[in-house]
Amino acid sequence: MSDIAAEPEIGLAFRETGAPVADGAFRVARRGRVERTRRVGFTFDGKPYGALGGDTVASALLANGVHLMGRSFKYHRPRGILSAGSEDANALIGTSRGPGRFEPNTRATMQEVFDGLAAESQNRWPSLGFDIGAINDAIPHLFAAGFYYKTFKWPRPFWHHVYEPVIRAAAGLGRAPHEADPDSYTARYHHTDILVVGAGPAGLAAALAAGRSGARVLLVDEHSEMGGSLLSMPEIGIDARGAWSFLAETLAELASLPNVRLLPRTTAFGYFHQNMVALAERLTDHLASPPDGAPRERLWRVRAREVVLAQGAIEKPLVFDGNDRPAVMLASAARTMLNRYGVLVGEHPAVVTSHDSAYATAFELADAGATIPVIIDARPTVEPVLLDEAARRGIAVATGHTVLGTEGRMRVSGLKIAPVTGGTIGAARAIHCDAVLMSGGWTPSLHLFSHTKASLVWDEDLKTFLPGQSPEACVTAGGGAGHWGIAAALEDGARAGATAAAKVGHLGRVHDFSVEGERVETGATIAALPSRGTRGKAFVDHQNDVTAKDVRLAVREGMRSIEHVKRYTTTGMATDQGKTSNINALLIAAEALGKSPPEVGLTTFRPPYTPTTFGTFANHHAGATFEVTRKTPINGWAEAQGAVFEPVALWRRARYFPRGNETMREAVARECRATREAVGLFDASTLGKIEVVGPDAAEFLNRLYTNPFLKLAPGRCRYGVLLGEDGFIRDDGVIARIAEDRFHVTTTTGGAPRVLTMMEDYLQTEWPDLKVWLTSTTEEWATVALNGPLARAVLAPLVKGLDIAADAFPHMSVAECKVAGVPVRLCRMSFTGELGFEVNVPARHALAVWEAIWTAGQPHGITPYGTETMHVLRAEKGFIIVGQETDGTVTPDDAGLAWAIGKTKRDFVGMRSLARPDLVATGRKQLVGLLTRDPATVLEEGAQLVEEDARPPVPMIGHVTSSYWSETLGRSIALALVKDGRARIGETLYLPMPDTTIAAEVVAPVFYDPDGARFHL
Amino acid sequence: MVPTMRQEATMLLIHCPYCDKTLPEVEFAYAGEAHIVRPADPAAMSDEAWRDFLFIRTNARGPHFERWRHVHGCARFFNAVRDTVSDRFLATYKAGAPKPDLATLLAETERAR
Amino acid sequence: MTTHADGPVALSMADTGARFSLRIGVTPDDLAAAETAFGAPIFATIGARGREAGRESLCLGPDEWVLTAPEADRAPIATAFAGIGAAHPHSLVDISDREIAIDLEGEAVTALLAQGIAIDLDAFPSGHGTRTVYDGITVVLRRDAAHAFRLEAWRSFVPHVWHRLTEGNKELALGI
Repeated sequence: MSDIAAEPEIGLAFRETGAPVADGAFRVARRGRVERTRRVGFTFDGKPYGALGGDTVASALLANGVHLMGRSFKYHRPRGILSAGSEDANALIGTSRGPGRFEPNTRATMQEVFDGLAAESQNRWPSLGFDIGAINDAIPHLFAAGFYYKTFKWPRPFWHHVYEPVIRAAAGLGRAPHEADPDSYTARYHHTDILVVGAGPAGLAAALAAGRSGARVLLVDEHSEMGGSLLSMPEIGIDARGAWSFLAETLAELASLPNVRLLPRTTAFGYFHQNMVALAERLTDHLASPPDGAPRERLWRVRAREVVLAQGAIEKPLVFDGNDRPAVMLASAARTMLNRYGVLVGEHPAVVTSHDSAYATAFELADAGATIPVIIDARPTVEPVLLDEAARRGIAVATGHTVLGTEGRMRVSGLKIAPVTGGTIGAARAIHCDAVLMSGGWTPSLHLFSHTKASLVWDEDLKTFLPGQSPEACVTAGGGAGHWGIAAALEDGARAGATAAAKVGHLGRVHDFSVEGERVETGATIAALPSRGTRGKAFVDHQNDVTAKDVRLAVREGMRSIEHVKRYTTTGMATDQGKTSNINALLIAAEALGKSPPEVGLTTFRPPYTPTTFGTFANHHAGATFEVTRKTPINGWAEAQGAVFEPVALWRRARYFPRGNETMREAVARECRATREAVGLFDASTLGKIEVVGPDAAEFLNRLYTNPFLKLAPGRCRYGVLLGEDGFIRDDGVIARIAEDRFHVTTTTGGAPRVLTMMEDYLQTEWPDLKVWLTSTTEEWATVALNGPLARAVLAPLVKGLDIAADAFPHMSVAECKVAGVPVRLCRMSFTGELGFEVNVPARHALAVWEAIWTAGQPHGITPYGTETMHVLRAEKGFIIVGQETDGTVTPDDAGLAWAIGKTKRDFVGMRSLARPDLVATGRKQLVGLLTRDPATVLEEGAQLVEEDARPPVPMIGHVTSSYWSETLGRSIALALVKDGRARIGETLYLPMPDTTIAAEVVAPVFYDPDGARFHL
Repeated sequence: MVPTMRQEATMLLIHCPYCDKTLPEVEFAYAGEAHIVRPADPAAMSDEAWRDFLFIRTNARGPHFERWRHVHGCARFFNAVRDTVSDRFLATYKAGAPKPDLATLLAETERAR
Repeated sequence: MTTHADGPVALSMADTGARFSLRIGVTPDDLAAAETAFGAPIFATIGARGREAGRESLCLGPDEWVLTAPEADRAPIATAFAGIGAAHPHSLVDISDREIAIDLEGEAVTALLAQGIAIDLDAFPSGHGTRTVYDGITVVLRRDAAHAFRLEAWRSFVPHVWHRLTEGNKELALGI
């Protein structure tokens, strides 16, 4: 009991004090770039560990002798690191900084340690050391390639309800957090002459050549430190300096150039059209206490004239049974751990290789104090110089050998090796070791290059794909182009940088680097090491747990293309996108098919290069800035009055103005009564407004709208209907003629941009000869609508320069005058059926005019109303709302607007379509009114209408478009589109609802004041 | 000209023939197939001919004559030839200008590469 | 919300003045008449600005200019253009209240604007102007000096633009 309680308490105490814990036992003196004097503490699965500044979680755990970092995806096999970089497939961890700040599937090799970091392993239960899911590993055939296609076929419903949930629970990666992400993210655009991706030797040389030429250069690297392979190879001499001195001086020079920008911790994750490269910059994930308000990540959208891809090469694992046990890793990972982090990954590491480069790792580890039990080389012969160097250090080299298996559960403890002679595997022997360093050679990192739809070319000598042609202005330099080694990378990078500079008009000079301490390294490419094919697992894709057997099985079962093999086995489909596995999978599949690799093909790399957070993609567009909220000048007043708002397009509009504890229905009923009986005040500012000016303005509108406009007199308004060329209603609004050559056109709120675009389209491309111009004035004018029998009484005392008496200023008039001292455009018009005025006020004065009217209206009982009351009042009059009564398939005749079509017009937009056979056929849905048999029943908008009170299925003949409680009529009303509706007036139709069927009578769509007498008060 | 909401995919660069500048896609809007002229006398057209004018489009795989609008710039509609497979613009030209000869255009593009 | 200084860029809402949208043909006669009516140069090159006595024209499109002037000049400008209408058909629309302008000044101003503007600001010379997009919103951008810009957006979009700019300015102040 006390033992169990003890562990969490230690963790808790650690978190509270933040006291550093001693650094690990596997740290090597005088090696690495970690900050020896900066000790930091972190926890892994609740247990505290010490680390040094500059450590990653992986290097810090290895320094403490911890190799077991996670469990694998399907088989729950114990895993440690495979590589030391972003391509690592194994050591995925979760990191936590508090609620909502949990990040799953983070590569331990990339996560920098900071004081107080809490990291945890994934895909294990109840603990990393004892994991129930590991039972999967004991039933190997269950999870072989394509197992779920074959095993869980029947019965069909079981897939969704039984098999899939169980499989998903058993296999998987990290868990996603449930809380909202409290972090902020940012973004920016950037333009540069030359973008260099990767700051290893090739990228540095390219940036230097381009930067010295004066071109604008952006150099990015995904690591916390720039330098790439130079960070792991301090022994190399460059230009008579150590590699690290060279690196420091180069970075200092680049930083001093005003035209060069360096971005570490920045991943180029996608390469898009015309040299747009997307970068994700990690800003705070490495900081113990990020500054307040600091964004976590930044998305860069970089447009570069030239791109130099210097992403280097990724070491290829060797495929042999048990090549996934903790402490089996790439040789380059061990070299990086030693030289960059000062960590010895094992005291007795064995080396398995088919490439010279692993020898350097072996020698360096030996020189740092490790005992190398053996170097197993799959090749029959090796350069004598390597053998001499090995012998000098007392290291045995077993050439022409294979690995038959590994031992050890939570960490590798031994190897079984055997000689291979003429394809025959000889007698096996056991080797004791505490780590296995493997190298199968190098694979150029061509991911970004492939994003450009570039071609890749198979190189038979190097047995790898090299960059071919790209449609983009880019070049791959260094290891990515198959130029192995520091000297070759520097030379190729410098040439690439100088060439790119020349292409953008700068004189780039190629610097000749002199490199010492490097030998030319070669290797052999082997699909999988020879094995006896027993029960072991030789992993190809470590992250998705795909073995060499799975790939061969896929081929046996008929998969012929690598694309099929990939989908059948899921190889290369994990979060690492097969960076360490694709080429091995291809080689094994090609061997099984008896074809060359290019014949089998390479799967397409797609963005993102490494997993990228949703936050980076969303960046600013979250929370308050998710979307623009447009507010009218009256918004603040409405807020102060306690209005309830609703979104309309991007606008925020007052829906109703409740008093006290009123419900919406009570408030709307009161607002309706007030407007019908006294006077209501409405903010109509969101309506679209377009100023149409020029000698041909009337002709232009006459061609666009269904209504005639040539003879509309200045000072008069007319309702206009706008169709698409297909004959369907697009928009409507009142059009006021201000002067002979000037119209004030209104549109629906949501239709404003669309209508202006359509008008510009016709004007610019069909009728460029017309002398008329269009200007949006939606936001120039705020619109104050005053409706009700007392509207004139309220307004008249405020008006200067115009007689608004009923006869002097009749319905559908417009004039310029002053209201409350402000010059306005005053329209007499109405969307409610009452006497109405719309005061168009320059926006800056809108609130003052609104308040003046409000004050003047107090003795008359003036009442503000919102969009809901506006909807009810117009529905009582049978006025349509475009988008509510129409859906893009409604003609003027369908909507009862045939009267709005100019009878003598020869043409207008959409006119010809009104004669299309389908538009003149009978059976079209027409706008009608509905009165429910029970006046208290308010129909649901969207409800379907049928002819008989019968159980469905019955033919549906229409639907309800608008439905409200009408306070004016003391009953419910509705508008509907009904097949041959006008011929059905007087009939009873039915609306089947889930629990009942409602009967309603079809009536004319005008419920109130059908003669329109009240307009003219 | 009209504020519309963002298009995050600002990948292409488009040359506006009115501004004579190559600018990010975010300033532009696609506007359908080009060189479809509204008939001078729609009333005289058969139902079939009118249907074709309304609805029938090329749907090209490869070079496509299409309209774009520099909506957040000079606001002009213009024409373009874009390869729908590669997304490359082969040419842009002012509204009303004649349709460029495709063979010549392809040859020029090939030379430029 | 009229000034902001929580970051390296000084932001302020500009004073409201007179603003017109001018649309007119591009014949030399039409332009000359418009220049006379306006009292400042009107150039036919998109992006070019003509300035004189507090009045300024900015060519936004092949037949489109935005004219700005002190508030007191509003009525005289409208009257002057009305006088040339018969001989030189055009459209002059008062949009003084449609947009609100924000002035930005400081060495980091291009970094701030690049958070929302896709065009290459290094290639956008002083003395020029253009319509473009800031965070999905149509804006008119003018560069008055190496480190001084003016951004105009439609009135209802300005709170969003202002919020983004002030937040962005704070981000720049953090130096990360």
